[in-house]
Amino acid sequence: MAAAVTSRLTAAVCRQFQRVVTVSSYTQPQCATQAFSKFHSCQRRQTYDSWWFRSSTNNRALHTSCVREGLEDFFDLPENWGEQTVKSGAPWTGKQLRVKSNEDLHKLWYVLLKEKNMLLTLEQEAKRQRLPMPSPERLKKVERSMKRLDTVVTEREDSLRLLQTGQERGRPGEWRRNVFGKTFWYRFKEHPIPWYLNSRYKRRRFFEPSHVAPYTRLSLEKYLRSKIRKEKREKRNQKMLAAVFPKKTALA
Amino acid sequence: MRQISMRLTALLSMAAKAAFPHDYRYGTNRPWTIAAQRLNPPGKKRRKVFVEPIANEDWHVLRGDTVEILSGKDKGKQGKVAQVFRRRSWVILEGLNTHYRYIGRSGDYRGTYIASEAPLMLKDVTLIDPTDRKPTDIEWRYTEEGERVRVSVRTGRIIPKPVYQRRDGIIPQQWKDGPKDTSPEDTLQKTFTPSLKTLEEEVMEKMNIQEDRRPRKSYWY
Repeated sequence: MAAAVTSRLTAAVCRQFQRVVTVSSYTQPQCATQAFSKFHSCQRRQTYDSWWFRSSTNNRALHTSCVREGLEDFFDLPENWGEQTVKSGAPWTGKQLRVKSNEDLHKLWYVLLKEKNMLLTLEQEAKRQRLPMPSPERLKKVERSMKRLDTVVTEREDSLRLLQTGQERGRPGEWRRNVFGKTFWYRFKEHPIPWYLNSRYKRRRFFEPSHVAPYTRLSLEKYLRSKIRKEKREKRNQKMLAAVFPKKTALA
Repeated sequence: MRQISMRLTALLSMAAKAAFPHDYRYGTNRPWTIAAQRLNPPGKKRRKVFVEPIANEDWHVLRGDTVEILSGKDKGKQGKVAQVFRRRSWVILEGLNTHYRYIGRSGDYRGTYIASEAPLMLKDVTLIDPTDRKPTDIEWRYTEEGERVRVSVRTGRIIPKPVYQRRDGIIPQQWKDGPKDTSPEDTLQKTFTPSLKTLEEEVMEKMNIQEDRRPRKSYWY
């Protein structure tokens, strides 16, 4: 019954907000061929006009800006222009993204990115015209979908890395003590030269000087005291709430 | 020990989330409205309201439920829940427990006289058993399939989750996909096959990208 409920819910509610993703081989996108043909026609046009314009004064080759395709992806579909509200479906959930292959996720990321660019252009234009943006929730939905996609991909990467190497983190690091005596997780950076040749790195002190050593113990004591105080405060609160709101066993 | 350096993303997300002081008093108005700002001006110190601590999963009154009022002006009446405030254990019913006020006054015009609902405490309302339409007590129990449902103690009838219209006016059964929406079948279709390749390796294979360059030796410290 739970499965039926969830499937009914997903079938009813699961309307997503990007183009249909089908598993297909990577083919040449259509826009490239269109641009190619248009470019050729422009070149032909250029050769017709060139003898007229190519005089001693105008030696610069005539440039007719012909490659104007591709910018329509920065704008919504023409039937949505001027609308106050645009209908949009639900964002992708992590559960739905986890059943998709890496190739599908890769394609989906770029579809979502293009949609986000379109919405950001729309937002900026609306600000420029001092008008409300139509359906700003679309931007939030796209951002959430992209965040969840990123989460799914990092999950897969983490699991593969754990399996193959046993490393928990993708980026190396270690616990170090800084000049103020505080221990922190230092994340490594990539350098072209080793550390003993890096004069700027050698100037950084990852140890506490001797005059700072007594303060580490004091700050530790302060931290422990505040932790114990917080726990005691919580316990006191719970006791007081239990006294004010007694647990009713026999409810009418 | 505590980390000192925070990641930029964590910092940004913290700034994006709304932060309330620990003694913030939650009212019926949304926190970004002027009325809520009037209720919590900076520097005010009001007596703290104590709310019975109920865990999120133990909450039994949901939006759209039909409940009966046990005490107050409209005692004995049944109504639909319009809003639930968990922070203060409040429930607002449609059209019940109302007081009257003027709204939108300006200059000489005294405004429209409307009925506005006052919130009711959770302990003053009970859910209604669908069989005999009488107030009853509720328990959370598990069905044989493992689903957690509300069960009335008196009759043992399961009280279904209420169907409430979404705030954006969308009815899932009547939804028609737009040109940019993916159909449910395509969304639920499983294309993932687990493999020991990273996303980059798989995509490079599919796109026939040959990477023959070797990365230059770099040092991590």
